Amino acid sequence: MVDTNTRHFQHLVDISKGEINREMFSDPDIYQQELKQIFARCWLFLGHVSQLPNENDFFTAYMGEDPVIVTRHSDGQLGAFLNMCRHRGNRVCRADSGNQRLFTCPFHGWTFANSGHLKTVPGYKQVYHEKLDMEAHGLIPVARIDDYKGMIFATFDENAPALDEYLGDMAWYLDMAIDRREGGIEFLPGTHKWRIKCNWKFPVDNFIGDSYHGPVSHGSAWEVGFEGMPRRKKGYGYEGFQINAGNGHGFGVRWAENEDQIYEMALPEFLSYEEERFPETHARLGDLRGMHLSPMHGSIFPNFSILWQSGNMRVWHPRGVGETEGWSWCFVDKKATPEHRDLVRVHDLQRHGTSGTWEQDDVDNWVQSTLSSRGYVGRQVKQNLSMGVEHEISDPKSIHPDMRGRIAGFQNEINQRQLYAQWARMMDGAAPNVSGANV
Amino acid sequence: MTDLETWFSVNQFYTKESRYLDDLEFTNWLSGFDETVRYWMPIVSNRIGRDVGRELTQPGELAHFEDDHTSLTNRVKRLQTGRAWAETPPGRTNHMISNVEIMERDGVQLKVRSQFLIYRSHMEIDQEIFSGTRIDKLRPDTETTWKIMDRSIILDHAVLTQKSLGIFF
Repeated sequence: MVDTNTRHFQHLVDISKGEINREMFSDPDIYQQELKQIFARCWLFLGHVSQLPNENDFFTAYMGEDPVIVTRHSDGQLGAFLNMCRHRGNRVCRADSGNQRLFTCPFHGWTFANSGHLKTVPGYKQVYHEKLDMEAHGLIPVARIDDYKGMIFATFDENAPALDEYLGDMAWYLDMAIDRREGGIEFLPGTHKWRIKCNWKFPVDNFIGDSYHGPVSHGSAWEVGFEGMPRRKKGYGYEGFQINAGNGHGFGVRWAENEDQIYEMALPEFLSYEEERFPETHARLGDLRGMHLSPMHGSIFPNFSILWQSGNMRVWHPRGVGETEGWSWCFVDKKATPEHRDLVRVHDLQRHGTSGTWEQDDVDNWVQSTLSSRGYVGRQVKQNLSMGVEHEISDPKSIHPDMRGRIAGFQNEINQRQLYAQWARMMDGAAPNVSGANV
Repeated sequence: MTDLETWFSVNQFYTKESRYLDDLEFTNWLSGFDETVRYWMPIVSNRIGRDVGRELTQPGELAHFEDDHTSLTNRVKRLQTGRAWAETPPGRTNHMISNVEIMERDGVQLKVRSQFLIYRSHMEIDQEIFSGTRIDKLRPDTETTWKIMDRSIILDHAVLTQKSLGIFF
């Protein structure tokens, strides 16, 4: 049990001032502690059930720097295991996805079932003299795996709270993406995967609450026709909210006073689909989630991010203190028409992911922020997250009675502050759900 | 044209195209594309067993690039705003095209396969290498010799070691 009173990492984060210490972006020892205290203890997003439609389907993923195989067993159950042979540690699966009941290590041929069990070992009688404990040498399973409406998460910590508790109010808000129509969503086949020389926290920080950078960082893309969603009108930029759902999760929304304003914000090519889906969404989710909130960007602690209406979800895999591997997917409502699927896919990939006209400029920002944390003098200078520090909205229910979590205006760094507060708490050993919505 | 003349002409066209890209003459580069062009780069993944041969995402699935003439033109316009930060200052590229092979002739139209190796240096010491294959459909054009009607680009990388795909292929 880690002593939660040591508060070793709390001093790196001053939420009341909105200042954090840059060493967390460059110190290799801090990074090792992150792998232990955050990535080995949080629920981490692995993928979507639509990526495993059939029995014995699998895909490979990462939890922190640990490679895992995510499987749907013959009995239909989901499983996730370290992609590591129990003999010499080699990967037993070298494919990114496929359909297999058995995984055979290419080194010496130990063969595991997709339930994790060690099934055969070459020379079990002749060279192991039947002494190898087959039961004890299966693939290492995650402690828990679960899905929230098709979103698969797993954790290596058997003491972790249940997934629902971990997601807290964020699950309720996530419904605006994954449960707005009957049947939910599905991922299109294909994953963008790419390496960025930045600390993993910078993209999470960017997605959770940085609505401030848009007009500057993405002005070029916007101006030439790669418009974003919800569509920005003249005078736009300051109306809407940042919503912090607790446990380090948060997102930003535009506010629609009524149905008409949803259509005003829609891109022309998406308008007919917005009109088609609105009555169903409104009926399923009610006024607040089904009409007033038009979510844009968000992150689930520690390393999952979403761009709601661009149909984009991604994970930021840590790859050392100074490198991150982005995995980006396109999602659509299962009920979406073929025409709308095409529009979402093209909209998404022309803006986000590897060739994204928005993403390219973000990437260089994160690289620069990381580089500036390396110099001895530079990293003594605090990172500034003070925007709107004393301007959170004291009574969220005054905005709407159903509102959950803490909220602030659209241009406010509340979500980044809460992200790093959660980071510091977990680095000091606290459980991921100690914050609730109102710490 | 004889086979040799055709091959030479296509090589000249590709060499000029590479020069336009390396010299940041993107408007000239665009002139080589037909108005109806599809510019597409599927995603490569690692497959084994019976899935070998299914490494590429298909039309209708996610891709790295899926552009038409308008979006390709907009990508170029973005670079010309002066505020495309990933290319400010611009990267220095060297597009090398080889193994040009005329795969098929359909009347005057050609299906051509070529290989590329592109070096990019950016800022101080950032450097990236892109390698892969292009499969083009070309039609003759009086002004630009050839027009690209369709370009499929197969990058060799499953996990891109490049920070983004901000260049053209």
